Amino acid sequence: MSRPAPRSIDDYLSALRAALAGSDPALIQDALYDAEEYLRAEVAANPGVPEAEVLERLMTTYGSPEEIAAAYRDTELKVTRALQPPASKRAASPDPIMQFLSVYSDPRAYTSLFFMILSLVTGTLYFTIAVTGLSLSLSLAILIIGLPVFIGFIGIARAISLGEGRLLEAVTGERMPRRPVHPGSGSLWERILAMLQDGRTWTTMAYLVMMLPLGVIYSSVALTGLSVGVAFLLVPLVGIAQRSEWWVSSNTGPLVFSPWWLDTPMGWVFCAVFGAIVLTSLLHVARIVVRLHARVAKVLLVT
Amino acid sequence: MDDGHAKKFQKELNVGIVALVLLAVLDRSSQDLYGYEIAKRLHRANDGDGLFKEGTVYPVLRSLCEGGFLKSRVEPSSAGPPRRYYRITREGRALLVQWNGIWIQTRDFVDRVLRGDES
Repeated sequence: MSRPAPRSIDDYLSALRAALAGSDPALIQDALYDAEEYLRAEVAANPGVPEAEVLERLMTTYGSPEEIAAAYRDTELKVTRALQPPASKRAASPDPIMQFLSVYSDPRAYTSLFFMILSLVTGTLYFTIAVTGLSLSLSLAILIIGLPVFIGFIGIARAISLGEGRLLEAVTGERMPRRPVHPGSGSLWERILAMLQDGRTWTTMAYLVMMLPLGVIYSSVALTGLSVGVAFLLVPLVGIAQRSEWWVSSNTGPLVFSPWWLDTPMGWVFCAVFGAIVLTSLLHVARIVVRLHARVAKVLLVT
Repeated sequence: MDDGHAKKFQKELNVGIVALVLLAVLDRSSQDLYGYEIAKRLHRANDGDGLFKEGTVYPVLRSLCEGGFLKSRVEPSSAGPPRRYYRITREGRALLVQWNGIWIQTRDFVDRVLRGDES
Protein backbone atom coordinates (compact mmCIF):
# COMPACT_ATOMS: atom_id res chain seq x y z
CA MET A 1 0.00 0.00 0.00
CA SER A 2 1.47 3.38 -0.96
CA ARG A 3 1.71 6.01 1.73
CA PRO A 4 0.95 9.71 1.14
CA ALA A 5 4.03 11.72 0.10
CA PRO A 6 5.74 13.40 3.07
CA ARG A 7 4.97 17.13 3.29
CA SER A 8 7.97 18.16 5.39
CA ILE A 9 11.50 17.02 6.21
CA ASP A 10 10.31 15.79 9.61
CA ASP A 11 7.51 13.80 7.91
CA TYR A 12 10.03 12.25 5.54
CA LEU A 13 12.38 11.30 8.37
CA SER A 14 9.52 9.76 10.38
CA ALA A 15 8.47 7.73 7.32
CA LEU A 16 12.09 6.63 6.78
CA ARG A 17 12.36 5.61 10.43
CA ALA A 18 9.12 3.61 10.08
CA ALA A 19 10.36 1.96 6.85
CA LEU A 20 13.58 0.94 8.58
CA ALA A 21 11.78 -0.44 11.65
CA GLY A 22 13.40 -3.65 12.82
CA SER A 23 16.77 -2.83 11.21
CA ASP A 24 19.98 -2.37 13.10
CA PRO A 25 19.59 0.81 15.25
CA ALA A 26 23.06 1.96 14.17
CA LEU A 27 22.04 1.72 10.51
CA ILE A 28 18.84 3.69 11.23
CA GLN A 29 20.85 6.47 12.88
CA ASP A 30 23.18 6.70 9.87
CA ALA A 31 20.33 6.63 7.33
CA LEU A 32 18.43 9.41 9.12
CA TYR A 33 21.57 11.56 9.32
CA ASP A 34 22.34 11.16 5.60
CA ALA A 35 18.73 11.81 4.58
CA GLU A 36 18.51 14.95 6.70
CA GLU A 37 21.79 16.24 5.22
CA TYR A 38 20.49 15.78 1.68
CA LEU A 39 16.94 17.06 2.29
CA ARG A 40 18.07 20.23 4.05
CA ALA A 41 20.65 20.92 1.32
CA GLU A 42 17.95 20.50 -1.36
CA VAL A 43 15.48 22.75 0.47
CA ALA A 44 18.22 25.36 0.93
CA ALA A 45 19.08 25.12 -2.81
CA ASN A 46 15.47 25.97 -3.69
CA PRO A 47 14.69 29.19 -1.84
CA GLY A 48 11.12 30.37 -2.28
CA VAL A 49 9.80 26.92 -3.21
CA PRO A 50 7.50 25.47 -0.52
CA GLU A 51 9.04 22.56 1.40
CA ALA A 52 6.13 20.28 0.48
CA GLU A 53 6.76 20.92 -3.24
CA VAL A 54 10.51 20.23 -2.93
CA LEU A 55 9.75 16.98 -1.11
CA GLU A 56 7.28 15.88 -3.74
CA ARG A 57 9.96 16.35 -6.41
CA LEU A 58 12.52 14.54 -4.24
CA MET A 59 10.43 11.39 -4.18
CA THR A 60 11.47 10.74 -7.81
CA THR A 61 15.08 12.01 -7.63
CA TYR A 62 16.26 11.19 -4.10
CA GLY A 63 13.90 8.27 -3.56
CA SER A 64 10.91 7.53 -1.35
CA PRO A 65 11.50 6.53 2.29
CA GLU A 66 10.75 2.91 1.35
CA GLU A 67 13.30 2.95 -1.51
CA ILE A 68 15.96 4.54 0.68
CA ALA A 69 15.27 2.05 3.46
CA ALA A 70 15.69 -0.80 0.95
CA ALA A 71 18.94 0.76 -0.29
CA TYR A 72 20.37 0.88 3.21
CA ARG A 73 19.31 -2.65 3.99
CA ASP A 74 20.41 -4.28 0.72
CA THR A 75 22.97 -2.09 -1.01
CA GLU A 76 25.06 -1.42 2.03
CA LEU A 77 25.24 -5.11 2.81
CA LYS A 78 26.13 -6.09 -0.76
CA VAL A 79 28.69 -3.34 -1.37
CA THR A 80 30.36 -3.93 1.99
CA ARG A 81 30.56 -7.62 1.18
CA ALA A 82 32.01 -6.87 -2.27
CA LEU A 83 34.69 -4.64 -0.76
CA GLN A 84 35.78 -7.08 1.91
CA PRO A 85 38.55 -9.51 1.05
CA PRO A 86 37.13 -13.04 0.83
CA ALA A 87 37.27 -14.68 4.24
CA SER A 88 39.14 -17.94 4.29
CA LYS A 89 36.66 -20.69 4.93
CA ARG A 90 37.82 -22.77 7.81
CA ALA A 91 35.60 -25.66 8.70
CA ALA A 92 35.01 -25.91 12.44
CA SER A 93 37.02 -28.83 13.72
CA PRO A 94 34.95 -31.55 15.39
CA ASP A 95 37.83 -32.11 17.83
CA PRO A 96 36.98 -30.25 21.09
CA ILE A 97 40.67 -29.56 21.82
CA MET A 98 41.14 -28.00 18.38
CA GLN A 99 37.96 -25.99 18.91
CA PHE A 100 39.32 -24.74 22.24
CA LEU A 101 42.64 -23.78 20.62
CA SER A 102 41.02 -22.16 17.55
CA VAL A 103 40.58 -18.97 19.58
CA TYR A 104 44.26 -18.21 18.83
CA SER A 105 43.46 -17.72 15.15
CA ASP A 106 40.66 -15.23 15.87
CA PRO A 107 41.98 -11.65 15.81
CA ARG A 108 38.86 -10.54 17.73
CA ALA A 109 39.99 -12.51 20.78
CA TYR A 110 43.15 -10.39 21.02
CA THR A 111 41.35 -7.11 20.33
CA SER A 112 38.75 -8.03 22.97
CA LEU A 113 41.49 -8.67 25.52
CA PHE A 114 43.05 -5.33 24.62
CA PHE A 115 39.64 -3.66 25.06
CA MET A 116 39.30 -5.20 28.52
CA ILE A 117 42.70 -3.86 29.64
CA LEU A 118 42.08 -0.47 28.05
CA SER A 119 38.67 -0.17 29.72
CA LEU A 120 40.31 0.75 33.03
CA VAL A 121 41.67 3.91 31.38
CA THR A 122 38.58 4.70 29.29
CA GLY A 123 36.25 3.83 32.19
CA THR A 124 38.03 6.22 34.55
CA LEU A 125 38.01 8.93 31.90
CA TYR A 126 34.30 8.50 31.05
CA PHE A 127 33.29 8.40 34.72
CA THR A 128 35.26 11.57 35.47
CA ILE A 129 33.79 13.39 32.47
CA ALA A 130 30.22 12.27 33.29
CA VAL A 131 30.37 13.16 36.99
CA THR A 132 32.21 16.46 36.42
CA GLY A 133 29.92 17.44 33.53
CA LEU A 134 26.72 16.58 35.39
CA SER A 135 27.69 18.27 38.65
CA LEU A 136 29.02 21.39 36.88
CA SER A 137 25.86 21.63 34.76
CA LEU A 138 23.61 21.22 37.80
CA SER A 139 25.52 23.59 40.08
CA LEU A 140 25.81 26.27 37.39
CA ALA A 141 22.20 25.86 36.26
CA ILE A 142 21.11 28.95 38.21
CA LEU A 143 23.66 31.08 36.32
CA ILE A 144 23.58 31.83 32.62
CA ILE A 145 26.94 30.06 32.20
CA GLY A 146 25.26 26.76 33.14
CA LEU A 147 23.67 26.58 29.69
CA PRO A 148 26.83 26.51 27.52
CA VAL A 149 28.43 24.15 30.05
CA PHE A 150 25.49 21.75 29.73
CA ILE A 151 25.44 21.92 25.90
CA GLY A 152 29.21 21.39 25.77
CA PHE A 153 28.92 18.45 28.15
CA ILE A 154 26.20 16.76 26.08
CA GLY A 155 28.31 17.37 22.94
CA ILE A 156 31.33 15.69 24.55
CA ALA A 157 29.16 12.79 25.77
CA ARG A 158 27.82 12.25 22.23
CA ALA A 159 31.32 12.38 20.74
CA ILE A 160 32.48 9.80 23.31
CA SER A 161 29.43 7.67 22.52
CA LEU A 162 30.30 7.70 18.79
CA GLY A 163 33.99 7.00 19.48
CA GLU A 164 33.20 4.13 21.87
CA GLY A 165 30.85 2.69 19.23
CA ARG A 166 33.57 2.82 16.57
CA LEU A 167 36.04 1.17 18.97
CA LEU A 168 33.56 -1.60 19.82
CA GLU A 169 32.76 -2.20 16.14
CA ALA A 170 36.48 -2.53 15.40
CA VAL A 171 36.92 -4.92 18.32
CA THR A 172 33.82 -7.11 17.98
CA GLY A 173 32.40 -6.46 14.50
CA GLU A 174 29.03 -5.43 15.99
CA ARG A 175 27.54 -2.74 13.72
CA MET A 176 27.63 0.66 15.46
CA PRO A 177 26.68 4.13 14.17
CA ARG A 178 29.11 5.84 11.82
CA ARG A 179 27.40 9.20 12.13
CA PRO A 180 26.65 11.12 15.31
CA VAL A 181 23.09 11.75 16.46
CA HIS A 182 21.70 14.51 14.30
CA PRO A 183 21.71 17.87 16.12
CA GLY A 184 18.13 18.43 14.90
CA SER A 185 16.44 21.67 13.96
CA GLY A 186 14.51 24.37 15.76
CA SER A 187 15.51 27.05 18.23
CA LEU A 188 18.24 26.58 20.82
CA TRP A 189 15.64 26.06 23.57
CA GLU A 190 13.78 23.45 21.53
CA ARG A 191 17.01 21.57 20.95
CA ILE A 192 17.96 21.68 24.62
CA LEU A 193 14.48 20.45 25.55
CA ALA A 194 14.78 17.67 22.96
CA MET A 195 18.17 16.68 24.45
CA LEU A 196 16.64 16.49 27.94
CA GLN A 197 13.64 14.49 26.71
CA ASP A 198 15.77 12.11 24.66
CA GLY A 199 16.13 8.92 26.67
CA ARG A 200 19.44 8.26 24.95
CA THR A 201 21.03 11.30 26.64
CA TRP A 202 20.43 9.63 30.01
CA THR A 203 21.30 6.09 28.95
CA THR A 204 24.59 7.49 27.55
CA MET A 205 25.28 9.05 30.98
CA ALA A 206 24.49 5.70 32.61
CA TYR A 207 26.96 3.98 30.26
CA LEU A 208 29.71 6.51 31.01
CA VAL A 209 29.25 6.09 34.77
CA MET A 210 28.92 2.30 34.53
CA MET A 211 32.20 2.04 32.65
CA LEU A 212 34.28 2.75 35.77
CA PRO A 213 33.23 -0.36 37.77
CA LEU A 214 33.12 -2.43 34.59
CA GLY A 215 36.56 -1.18 33.55
CA VAL A 216 37.97 -2.13 36.96
CA ILE A 217 36.46 -5.63 36.72
CA TYR A 218 37.47 -6.15 33.06
CA SER A 219 41.05 -5.01 33.50
CA SER A 220 41.44 -6.97 36.77
CA VAL A 221 40.22 -10.18 35.13
CA ALA A 222 42.39 -9.58 32.03
CA LEU A 223 45.57 -8.65 33.90
CA THR A 224 45.16 -11.39 36.53
CA GLY A 225 44.52 -14.01 33.86
CA LEU A 226 47.47 -12.80 31.79
CA SER A 227 49.92 -12.75 34.70
CA VAL A 228 48.81 -16.12 36.13
CA GLY A 229 48.87 -17.72 32.67
CA VAL A 230 52.28 -16.34 31.67
CA ALA A 231 53.78 -17.13 35.12
CA PHE A 232 52.74 -20.79 34.97
CA LEU A 233 53.83 -21.04 31.34
CA LEU A 234 57.34 -19.92 32.37
CA VAL A 235 57.66 -22.41 35.25
CA PRO A 236 59.72 -24.95 33.20
CA LEU A 237 62.25 -22.23 32.35
CA VAL A 238 62.56 -21.16 35.99
CA GLY A 239 62.79 -24.80 37.13
CA ILE A 240 65.54 -25.64 34.65
CA ALA A 241 67.43 -22.43 35.43
CA GLN A 242 67.31 -23.09 39.19
CA ARG A 243 68.18 -26.77 38.91
CA SER A 244 71.26 -26.04 36.83
CA GLU A 245 72.08 -23.03 39.06
CA TRP A 246 72.06 -20.58 36.14
CA TRP A 247 69.77 -18.31 38.01
CA VAL A 248 68.58 -17.74 41.55
CA SER A 249 66.50 -14.68 42.42
CA SER A 250 68.78 -12.34 44.37
CA ASN A 251 65.86 -10.80 46.25
CA THR A 252 63.76 -13.76 47.29
CA GLY A 253 66.22 -16.61 47.12
CA PRO A 254 65.40 -19.82 45.30
CA LEU A 255 61.80 -20.39 44.24
CA VAL A 256 60.30 -23.07 46.48
CA PHE A 257 57.80 -25.38 44.83
CA SER A 258 55.00 -26.83 46.90
CA PRO A 259 54.02 -29.67 46.76
CA TRP A 260 57.52 -30.96 46.02
CA TRP A 261 56.55 -32.91 42.91
CA LEU A 262 55.94 -29.66 41.05
CA ASP A 263 59.72 -29.25 41.01
CA THR A 264 60.17 -32.23 38.71
CA PRO A 265 60.11 -32.29 34.90
CA MET A 266 56.56 -33.73 35.07
CA GLY A 267 55.53 -30.96 37.48
CA TRP A 268 56.99 -28.28 35.18
CA VAL A 269 55.03 -29.65 32.23
CA PHE A 270 51.91 -29.72 34.39
CA CYS A 271 52.42 -26.04 35.29
CA ALA A 272 53.07 -25.05 31.65
CA VAL A 273 49.92 -26.85 30.49
CA PHE A 274 47.93 -25.17 33.28
CA GLY A 275 49.31 -21.76 32.18
CA ALA A 276 48.36 -22.46 28.56
CA ILE A 277 44.83 -23.45 29.63
CA VAL A 278 44.48 -20.24 31.67
CA LEU A 279 45.65 -18.08 28.74
CA THR A 280 43.40 -19.84 26.22
CA SER A 281 40.41 -19.62 28.56
CA LEU A 282 41.14 -15.93 29.07
CA LEU A 283 40.94 -15.32 25.31
CA HIS A 284 37.60 -17.16 25.19
CA VAL A 285 36.29 -15.17 28.16
CA ALA A 286 37.49 -11.88 26.62
CA ARG A 287 35.73 -12.65 23.35
CA ILE A 288 32.43 -13.51 25.06
CA VAL A 289 32.52 -10.66 27.61
CA VAL A 290 33.31 -7.94 25.06
CA ARG A 291 30.70 -9.29 22.63
CA LEU A 292 28.09 -9.05 25.40
CA HIS A 293 29.44 -5.65 26.38
CA ALA A 294 29.00 -4.42 22.78
CA ARG A 295 25.35 -5.51 22.84
CA VAL A 296 24.71 -3.69 26.11
CA ALA A 297 26.55 -0.62 24.75
CA LYS A 298 24.36 -0.69 21.68
CA VAL A 299 21.19 -0.66 23.76
CA LEU A 300 22.44 2.24 25.91
CA LEU A 301 24.22 4.33 23.27
CA VAL A 302 22.19 3.72 20.12
CA THR A 303 18.69 2.37 20.63
CA MET B 1 6.52 -5.90 -20.54
CA ASP B 2 6.17 -5.67 -16.78
CA ASP B 3 7.83 -2.49 -15.48
CA GLY B 4 8.68 -4.28 -12.25
CA HIS B 5 11.12 -6.57 -14.05
CA ALA B 6 12.94 -3.61 -15.58
CA LYS B 7 13.20 -1.91 -12.20
CA LYS B 8 14.50 -5.03 -10.53
CA PHE B 9 17.08 -5.58 -13.28
CA GLN B 10 18.23 -1.95 -13.01
CA LYS B 11 18.46 -2.25 -9.23
CA GLU B 12 20.60 -5.38 -9.41
CA LEU B 13 22.90 -3.74 -11.96
CA ASN B 14 23.25 -0.59 -9.88
CA VAL B 15 24.78 -2.28 -6.86
CA GLY B 16 28.30 -2.34 -8.26
CA ILE B 17 27.93 0.47 -10.78
CA VAL B 18 27.13 3.10 -8.15
CA ALA B 19 30.35 2.32 -6.28
CA LEU B 20 32.33 2.45 -9.55
CA VAL B 21 30.91 5.82 -10.69
CA LEU B 22 31.33 7.31 -7.21
CA LEU B 23 35.02 6.43 -7.27
CA ALA B 24 35.29 7.88 -10.79
CA VAL B 25 33.56 11.17 -9.86
CA LEU B 26 35.80 11.63 -6.82
CA ASP B 27 38.90 10.70 -8.81
CA ARG B 28 38.15 13.37 -11.44
CA SER B 29 37.29 16.09 -8.94
CA SER B 30 40.07 18.46 -7.95
CA GLN B 31 38.31 19.23 -4.67
CA ASP B 32 36.57 17.25 -1.94
CA LEU B 33 32.85 16.73 -2.56
CA TYR B 34 29.92 16.14 -0.21
CA GLY B 35 27.12 13.62 -0.70
CA TYR B 36 24.54 16.05 -2.10
CA GLU B 37 27.05 17.49 -4.58
CA ILE B 38 28.10 14.03 -5.79
CA ALA B 39 24.47 12.95 -6.20
CA LYS B 40 23.74 16.09 -8.24
CA ARG B 41 26.80 15.57 -10.48
CA LEU B 42 25.70 12.02 -11.24
CA HIS B 43 22.17 13.26 -11.93
CA ARG B 44 23.49 15.86 -14.40
CA ALA B 45 25.85 13.33 -16.02
CA ASN B 46 22.80 11.26 -16.91
CA ASP B 47 21.01 14.29 -18.47
CA GLY B 48 18.80 14.62 -15.42
CA ASP B 49 17.35 11.18 -15.91
CA GLY B 50 18.46 9.26 -12.85
CA LEU B 51 19.28 5.59 -13.37
CA PHE B 52 19.32 5.28 -9.61
CA LYS B 53 17.85 7.25 -6.76
CA GLU B 54 20.24 9.85 -5.41
CA GLY B 55 19.64 8.64 -1.88
CA THR B 56 21.24 5.29 -2.66
CA VAL B 57 24.60 7.06 -3.06
CA TYR B 58 25.01 7.61 0.68
CA PRO B 59 25.21 4.01 1.96
CA VAL B 60 27.70 3.22 -0.81
CA LEU B 61 29.83 6.25 0.10
CA ARG B 62 29.90 5.04 3.67
CA SER B 63 30.88 1.51 2.72
CA LEU B 64 33.72 2.82 0.51
CA CYS B 65 34.87 5.01 3.37
CA GLU B 66 34.79 2.07 5.78
CA GLY B 67 36.93 0.06 3.37
CA GLY B 68 39.56 2.83 3.31
CA PHE B 69 38.90 3.70 -0.34
CA LEU B 70 37.63 7.17 0.54
CA LYS B 71 38.55 9.62 3.28
CA SER B 72 36.04 11.97 4.80
CA ARG B 73 35.97 15.09 6.93
CA VAL B 74 33.07 17.05 8.38
CA GLU B 75 32.63 20.78 7.88
CA PRO B 76 29.88 23.02 9.23
CA SER B 77 27.39 24.30 6.68
CA SER B 78 25.13 27.35 6.77
CA ALA B 79 22.42 25.40 4.87
CA GLY B 80 21.79 22.82 7.57
CA PRO B 81 23.66 20.03 9.30
CA PRO B 82 27.44 19.73 8.96
CA ARG B 83 28.50 18.29 5.60
CA ARG B 84 30.72 15.28 5.17
CA TYR B 85 33.27 15.85 2.39
CA TYR B 86 34.82 12.87 0.64
CA ARG B 87 38.16 12.40 -1.10
CA ILE B 88 39.50 9.32 -2.90
CA THR B 89 42.53 7.57 -1.32
CA ARG B 90 45.44 5.79 -3.00
CA GLU B 91 43.69 2.45 -2.34
CA GLY B 92 40.52 3.90 -3.87
CA ARG B 93 42.41 4.88 -7.06
CA ALA B 94 43.88 1.37 -7.31
CA LEU B 95 40.40 -0.11 -6.85
CA LEU B 96 39.01 2.21 -9.53
CA VAL B 97 41.66 1.07 -12.03
CA GLN B 98 40.89 -2.57 -11.22
CA TRP B 99 37.11 -2.14 -11.37
CA ASN B 100 37.39 -0.07 -14.55
CA GLY B 101 39.19 -3.00 -16.20
CA ILE B 102 36.50 -5.42 -15.03
CA TRP B 103 33.78 -3.05 -16.24
CA ILE B 104 35.28 -2.73 -19.76
CA GLN B 105 35.71 -6.50 -19.98
CA THR B 106 32.12 -7.11 -18.79
CA ARG B 107 30.64 -4.43 -21.07
CA ASP B 108 32.48 -5.78 -24.14
CA PHE B 109 31.45 -9.33 -23.32
CA VAL B 110 27.77 -8.41 -22.86
CA ASP B 111 27.82 -6.31 -26.05
CA ARG B 112 29.31 -9.19 -28.05
CA VAL B 113 26.69 -11.65 -26.74
CA LEU B 114 23.82 -9.21 -27.33
CA ARG B 115 25.02 -8.52 -30.88
CA GLY B 116 25.18 -12.25 -31.45
CA ASP B 117 28.87 -12.46 -32.44
CA GLU B 118 30.01 -14.53 -29.49
CA SER B 119 31.49 -17.34 -31.56
